[in-house]
Amino acid sequence: MTRFRVVHRTEYRYGRPMADGFTATHLAPRPTPHQSVLSTVLHIDPQPDEFDAAHDSYGNPVALFAVHHPHETLLVESTIEVDVSVPPPVPWSPPWDDVAAVAAGATGDLAEELGPYLAHTSATPRLEVLAELTVGFTPGRPVADVVSELCYLVFTTFRFDAGATDVTTPLAEVMQERHGVCQDFAHVAAAALRSVGLPARYVSGYIETVPTPGEPKLIGVDASHAWCSVWAGELGWLDFDPTNDQMPPQRHVTVGWGRDYDDVAPVRGVVIGPSGEQSLVVAVDVTALD
Amino acid sequence: MISEQLSYSPVAGRWDEMLDVDGALRPTWQAAARALGPFDPRDLLDRQRQADRLLDAEGTGHLVHELSLATDRHGNSAAARSVSRPWRLDPIPFLIDAVDFQHLTQGAVERMQAVDALLADCYGPRTLVAEGVLPASLLHSLPSFRQVAGSHRPPAWLVHYAVDLVRDARGAWHVVHDLTDAPSGFGYSLLNRSVLARVMPEGLRGLGVAAIHDHADFLRQALAAVTPSGRISPRSVVLTPGPADATYVEHSYLATRLGLHLVEGADVVMRAGRLWLRVLDGLEPIDVVYRRVGDAHLDPLEPGHHGGGSGVPGVVWGARAGGITLANAYGSALAEAPELAPFVHEASTRLLQRELSLPLWTEGAQLASSPVFVDGGLEGRPVVLRLQVARVGDEFVVMPGGAGRVLAEGDHPARPTAQVVKDVWVTGSGARVRHHVPLGAPPQVDFGGSVPKRVADALYWLGRAAERAEVTARAARVITTQLEQDPMLPTIADGAWAAGAVALLRAAQSLPTAPIAFGVSAGDAVLAELNSTSNAAAAQLAALVQEAASVREYLSTTTGRVLGRLARVHADLADGSVGVDDLDGFLVDLAALSGLMMESTVRGPAWRFLDLGRRLERALAVLGAVEGALGLAVTGFAQQPVADAVLKAHESLVAYRRRYRSEFDLDAVLDLLLRDDGNPRSLAYQLDRLREHVSGLAWPEGASLVLAASTQALAGIDDAVVNGRVVSVDAFVLSVRGPLLDLAAAISQRWFADPVNPTLMRGF
Repeated sequence: MTRFRVVHRTEYRYGRPMADGFTATHLAPRPTPHQSVLSTVLHIDPQPDEFDAAHDSYGNPVALFAVHHPHETLLVESTIEVDVSVPPPVPWSPPWDDVAAVAAGATGDLAEELGPYLAHTSATPRLEVLAELTVGFTPGRPVADVVSELCYLVFTTFRFDAGATDVTTPLAEVMQERHGVCQDFAHVAAAALRSVGLPARYVSGYIETVPTPGEPKLIGVDASHAWCSVWAGELGWLDFDPTNDQMPPQRHVTVGWGRDYDDVAPVRGVVIGPSGEQSLVVAVDVTALD
Repeated sequence: MISEQLSYSPVAGRWDEMLDVDGALRPTWQAAARALGPFDPRDLLDRQRQADRLLDAEGTGHLVHELSLATDRHGNSAAARSVSRPWRLDPIPFLIDAVDFQHLTQGAVERMQAVDALLADCYGPRTLVAEGVLPASLLHSLPSFRQVAGSHRPPAWLVHYAVDLVRDARGAWHVVHDLTDAPSGFGYSLLNRSVLARVMPEGLRGLGVAAIHDHADFLRQALAAVTPSGRISPRSVVLTPGPADATYVEHSYLATRLGLHLVEGADVVMRAGRLWLRVLDGLEPIDVVYRRVGDAHLDPLEPGHHGGGSGVPGVVWGARAGGITLANAYGSALAEAPELAPFVHEASTRLLQRELSLPLWTEGAQLASSPVFVDGGLEGRPVVLRLQVARVGDEFVVMPGGAGRVLAEGDHPARPTAQVVKDVWVTGSGARVRHHVPLGAPPQVDFGGSVPKRVADALYWLGRAAERAEVTARAARVITTQLEQDPMLPTIADGAWAAGAVALLRAAQSLPTAPIAFGVSAGDAVLAELNSTSNAAAAQLAALVQEAASVREYLSTTTGRVLGRLARVHADLADGSVGVDDLDGFLVDLAALSGLMMESTVRGPAWRFLDLGRRLERALAVLGAVEGALGLAVTGFAQQPVADAVLKAHESLVAYRRRYRSEFDLDAVLDLLLRDDGNPRSLAYQLDRLREHVSGLAWPEGASLVLAASTQALAGIDDAVVNGRVVSVDAFVLSVRGPLLDLAAAISQRWFADPVNPTLMRGF
C-alpha cells in the first residue's frame, strides 16, 4: 500500500476583472476497493460567494462554486491524500463473451451499474475501424487476457504526442493519425470494449511520475491522467492503463469515472466579463509519502 | 365536384378529410359549405393573397426575414444568420368536429402524462431500466440524456407540451412524435388564426369555431403554477436565443401575447441561487423561465453543452436547488429522442397503469389527405396536426385548434418541407365550451419601470440610427433636388456651392470637411458625395432595423409595421443605387416612425433611452451642418443656395422664410438652427430635451454634461458670429460637441456597459 499526496493547482488569469465566475470541479477523489480517501482540501481564491458539493450521476463528488465580485484571477488548488494498493493479479477470469452476454441481459441494480458504460458517446463513438483492436477477442478467451492484449496493442500502435490533440479531437482522427494523449487512449480502449459489448469506464485521476535515476524529481511536472476500466463479471472492475501498458495500474490515484472525458472533466468554468488576454496554468504534483 | 369551377379528386382508397368514400362532403364540410358559400377558385386566390400579405406584414413586422444584415454596431459580423422562411397559410382551414377533437385531446393529454412519467423515471428511480424494459445502455447513449448532478426533482417536467399527429389512410389517428424541449408552434398558431380571422371572419363566426387566443392565458397561469414556493408576486420571463434563431418571430410574438419580458442569455445572471434580470437600476429577481432555448444550449457549466459559453451559466444548478423553475425542466429534450418514443407506451402502462388511446405512427404507413389550395386548384395532401397542451397545476389544457402542416410528396411527417400551414378549426356543437381553470390570480405588479440594460442599449442606438438615417437621406434629397432644378449650380461662384454641398453631405455622414480633390470637377465631386451619402442612409437603415429586431416587443404593433416596411426598403436598396424616389419613400416612413415613437410609445425609461439617442444624434447633426456648410466662407451667389440647403436639410427652411423674409442673413440662420428653443430641429431644443431626460434619470453626471453643452451653446454663438460674419464657428462647434460626445460615452458607461460575454474556461 502506498500513501500519495496530490496537489492539483489550476490558475486562470483573465486579463480584465470578471464580474461573475462559475466553476464545476471533479477534483475530490472517490473511494474504491483499492483506494481509501484520507483527506480532501479544496482551496479557492478568491473566496467564492456560493459553494455547493454534490455527487454526479456516476457517484463522483462534484464541487460547484461561484464568485460574484470582480476578480482578475481564479486559483483552484486541490490537495488530497489517499492510500492506494495495487490489486493482485487475477489468476482466472471468465470468458469475455460470457461477460458481454451477462451485461447485455442485466436487469435491476446490475443494469443500472453497467448501462452507462455500455453506451457509445460522442467522444467514444462506434467506429468500424475499432474492430482491428479486438481481432484477438475470439469466443471463450478470458476477459483479462483479451483486455491485457488490447492494452498492449494501444500502447504499441499509438504514439504519445502531447501537442497533437486536445479535448475536442474526434476519436476517428486519433484512430487515423495513431497519436494522442492519455485521454485519447482511454477513449480508444473504452470505445473498442463497448463495441464488443463489454462495459468500460473512462477513469480520471493521476499517476506518479518517476524521475530519471540520479536526478531530483521536479515540482509540478505531473499532469492529470486518464485510463480505462473493464467490467469482468464476478471479478468486478479491472483497471488498465493503455498509455503505460499497465494492467493493473501501479502508481495511480483515482479521482472518478464516467463514460468519457466530458463526464469527469477536472475543471469546467464560465466567466462573465470583458474579453481579455486569458491564460491558464495547471500544475500537478504527485508525491508518495512513504 | 366541390363547385362548378373547382374539382377535387383525392387519391381513391384513402381517407380524405373533406370527402367520404362516395365523394360526398363530410358533415363538417357541409356546414362549412353553408357558412363559406361554394368554393370559387378566384375567391380562394383572393383569400390566399390576403393571407400572404397579412402574414408577411406580421413576419416583417417582427423584422426577422430581412435580417441577413452584415455587421452590428460593435463590428461583429452576423454571419450565418438563419433566415426564417415565411410560410404560406392555406386559405382552406383544417376542419375537425369537436367530438373527434375530444378524442385527440384525450390522446394528447394521456401522451403528455406518459412522457412526463417517462422523464421522471429516467431521471429518477429508473424502474423501467431495473425491470429490463428500457436498456440502460440505450438511455446512456442518448446525448439528450442530461447528466444532472445530485437529485433533480423539478416542480413539473413538462409545463408546455406539443404533439404531432397524423391520420392514416383508414382514418385512424396516430402520434408522430412528442415535442418537449421548447415546443414550437403555439405562437405561430395564434398568428395564423389572427390572419384567417381577417381573411374569412364569416367562416369563423358561421361555423362556431373554437377560439384559441385564451390559451395564452392558460400558458401564463401554467408558468405561474410552477413558481418556487414562497415567492410573492412571482415573475416569469421568456428566454430566447436571440434574433438569429429561426423561430425568433414566434418568441417575440409569444412574449408580447403573454405579457412577459423577452430576455436573452446576457440579460440575466445567476446569483445566490436566484436568477436576476439586469435592468437599468440593478438586478430584479426572476422566478420562472419559459425557455425557448434547448437543453443543449442552456447552461455552459453543464457537461454536453453546445455553443461555447452561450446560455445562462449556473441556471441548472439553481434549478436543481429550487431557486428557479425552468419550464420545461432541464433534461426534457430526452423525450424527443426517436429511440425513446416506443417506451412512452411502456411508461404509460407500467407507471400510470393506463393504455394510450393513440398509437405510434408506423414508418411508411399511408396517410389521409386534406384539400390544399395549390396553383389555383385543389389537391389532396397529407397534413400533420400539432396540438399544444399546457399543464396548469394538475389540469391539462389542450388548445382547441393548432397548426396543420402540409406534407410535400415524399415528406416524412416529422420533417415537412412544404412550408404550407393550415389553421385548425374545431367546429360543431361543443366547440365553444370553454375550458375553465380556477386559479388564484397572482397579485398585480407593474413591471413598466424595469427595462433590461440590453433593451435600453438597443433602443438608444435605434434612436440614434433613426435620426442619422433621416439626416443622411434628407441631405441627399435636398442636394439632389437643388441639382435637378439648376444643373449649373456646381459652376457658380468658383464652385462655392459645390464646396458647400459637399460639406453638408459629409457632415450628414459625420465625416470631416475635405476640399474637393484637384482634377475632379465640382459637379463630379457633388455626385460622388451624393452617392456615398445615399449609401450611408441605407447603412443606417440596416442598423436601425437590426437594433429594432431585438427590442420588437417594446414597440407598438404599428411601429413594427413601419419598421417592416423600412426593412423591405433596405432589402430593395441592397442591390441597386438609391434614387430620389427611394429617398422620398423612406423619408416618409422615417417620419411615420418618429411620429409613432413620440405618440405611440409609453413614456417610461424605455422611451427615454430611445429619445435620448434621437436627441443626441440630432444635436450632433445640427452642429455638423453648421460647422461643415456654414463654417465655410461661402460668399456671393452661393450663399443663398447653401443656406437654403442647410435649412432644408434640417426642416427649417419654411420656418425661416415665414419668419425672416430676408434673402440671406447668417445671424438669422444660426439663430433658427442653434438658439431657437421653439424650433424642434434646433440645437437649443435638443439640449432642452436632453436636460429633461438626464433629470428624469436622476443622473447628476449626465446633467452636468448637458449643462456644459448648453452653457457653451449660449455663450459661444455670440462670439462665433459678429455682424453677420462668421468669426469662429469651429471653436464654437468644438466647445459644444465636446460635452455632447462625453455625454454619449457616459451614457454607455453608466447605463449599458455591463460584462455580458460568458467565456468557457477549461482546465485539465
